[in-house]
Amino acid sequence: MKEHPLFKIANPSSIAILGASNNFMSMGTSVLSSIQALNFKGPIYPVHPKEKTVLGLAAYPSVEELPEVPDLAVIVLPTRIVVEAMDACGKKGIRHAIVVSGGFGESGENGVSMQKQLKETAQSHGIRFLGPNCIGAVNPHHNFNATFLTYGQKPGFIGMASQSGSFITQMFDYLALFGLGFSTGFSVGNEADTDIVDCMEYLAQCPNTKVIGLYIESIRRGDRFIESARRIAPHTPIVAYYAGGTEAGRRAGFSHTGSLAGPDRVYDGVFRQGGIIRAYSIEELYDFCWCLGTCPAPSGNRVLVQTHSGGPGAVAADACDRAGLLLPPLSDETRGRLADYLPHTASMNNPVDLTFTRDPRDYTDVIPRLLVEDANTDAILMYMLQPPSSVRRAVVAMGVKGEQVEEEVTAYMEGRSLEMAEFIKGCEKPFIGFSYATGENSFIRGLYDAGVPVLPSPNRAARALWALVEYVRLRKKIA
Amino acid sequence: MNLIEKALAAGRRMLYEHEAKQLLSAYGFPTTNDIPAGSAAETDAAAEAVGFPVAIKGYGRDLMHKTEAGAVVLNVEDAGSARAVFETMKKNLGDQLEGVIVSEMAKGRRELVMGLHREPGFGPCVMIGIGGIMTEIINDTAFRVAPVEDAEAMDMAADLRAKKIFGPFRGEAEADMAAVGKCLAAIGKIGLDFPEISEIDVNPVIIRPDGRIIAVDALVILKGGE
Repeated sequence: MKEHPLFKIANPSSIAILGASNNFMSMGTSVLSSIQALNFKGPIYPVHPKEKTVLGLAAYPSVEELPEVPDLAVIVLPTRIVVEAMDACGKKGIRHAIVVSGGFGESGENGVSMQKQLKETAQSHGIRFLGPNCIGAVNPHHNFNATFLTYGQKPGFIGMASQSGSFITQMFDYLALFGLGFSTGFSVGNEADTDIVDCMEYLAQCPNTKVIGLYIESIRRGDRFIESARRIAPHTPIVAYYAGGTEAGRRAGFSHTGSLAGPDRVYDGVFRQGGIIRAYSIEELYDFCWCLGTCPAPSGNRVLVQTHSGGPGAVAADACDRAGLLLPPLSDETRGRLADYLPHTASMNNPVDLTFTRDPRDYTDVIPRLLVEDANTDAILMYMLQPPSSVRRAVVAMGVKGEQVEEEVTAYMEGRSLEMAEFIKGCEKPFIGFSYATGENSFIRGLYDAGVPVLPSPNRAARALWALVEYVRLRKKIA
Repeated sequence: MNLIEKALAAGRRMLYEHEAKQLLSAYGFPTTNDIPAGSAAETDAAAEAVGFPVAIKGYGRDLMHKTEAGAVVLNVEDAGSARAVFETMKKNLGDQLEGVIVSEMAKGRRELVMGLHREPGFGPCVMIGIGGIMTEIINDTAFRVAPVEDAEAMDMAADLRAKKIFGPFRGEAEADMAAVGKCLAAIGKIGLDFPEISEIDVNPVIIRPDGRIIAVDALVILKGGE
């Protein structure tokens, strides 16, 4: 198979960087710092007309004088010298580039003509490039982060292509909150050479990518987009957020059809046609990716909600209903099996509201194990609550003293979390947690780190479960 | 010369209703039985041929909004009335009226709209929605990029908030969904075959009491006519 043009852009073995200096204020320097911070394994060659060293690396006065032909050039230069730099890269034999510099197609007639020149220059040398006016690419599996923000977490499974750089870089810390990260992320910028369709096609081949996320403002190659998506979606789920779906773009057409055809409606149809799941917020985009990347496919839309608090369970039920999910009654068999573990205050309806359990461990152990086996259900949503303060009280009441108390609390929290995670990861049905507690709680943190989705609200959990159901439906449709 | 070339050669930027229906019909989209008529006598004869009650609609190159111009009369019950309708229209519209078409009054309480427009970057897009005079107010539509095949057409219909319209309704049968799919595919195919067409509106498409569907009115706008 022919190597995808984006392969070397995401997996270079050596990099030239044009525009980095020792001035920490400059964008180019920030990009180089990020590359170094992720401990890139290959040689990095800063090109600088004056500096002998840049951020501790030997610098070269020109591309021509580089000691080898690097796989990739990262260009972060002032607009007026970018075309010239691209030409120099081409003459050296470089065949891949990322052009971070802006001031091209996005800024007036002059910019448009310079972008055309840039593309022509690249083409004349057979160079494939990302950008211009992008924030770069990140592939943590390859210790490669050519963006201006530091990537600080583990490599992940979300492959992202974005028409806004912010939803790559500024998501690093956001995703880290949940133990998530990117497999590879592309900021496509002005898409002069490679576009979001190319990125999607590359990510579909990327072995580290379990799910593809797209942030879209406008698709230029509509027919190819749909065709590619239909080919990819059956094996790799695709989630898209479309911005620009406002009434502002609506035309005053002569026909009903013309005037009803706002771009939002058309994109809605395009996504469904492509087997793509549409998210309505950036949080949803990543929630969907999280669950699609970690959960098995549900065989239907029947969900069982487990809670020990009435309110969160009721909200989950309400949210499921709005999301088009069904809450079937428990099977007689499950009711019989549960009876031994439930206090008289508990409800065996759906949500299964335990109110409390005689042995608190039952809530995270025996009960979910029973529920997931219920023949009437395709998925479980479980309210997660494990406050350390309650554990601490119990530990103190048992007579534990001094430093031992915290050790016991930590051991208990982490032990429960680990058991729960192992159980959930072995489930053949989607099992999604929801909680108002976050990663600061070690029980929740443990689940995140083990790759178990625990969504920050019942509403988000219900919507994410809907995304799994929708994925199965779309996959069937296009197959 | 086909219908479209003829209309363009005559400097028209749209097809007359009966021409639009001929085009749809040629692609397997069922339409009402229409007979053009150019005089009061012809109107009578056409009405007899179609079978009462009939709808009489005037056409002419400057008659863009037929209802507003008083060029649509529905439920005409007998031959004498048909003749009178023609004469009144002629009197009111003068040379604007090139002729009328006499159509069967298709029965059915459920109205759909189907259509086509061209979306930059995607090409011809097919629409289905809740039709009738409240189409814009109800604003319940779904789009797909042409070509639209069966599974996609069914998915499109299921996108409507009011998708229950396809089910049984007050003693009327459920809609013939295979026909709905065929009609959506036909519109997409027309869009792909004729780049000269910029927009199509088939409104209303009536779901008959027995579930069959039929185009009652149709508009085809040609490039430059938007």
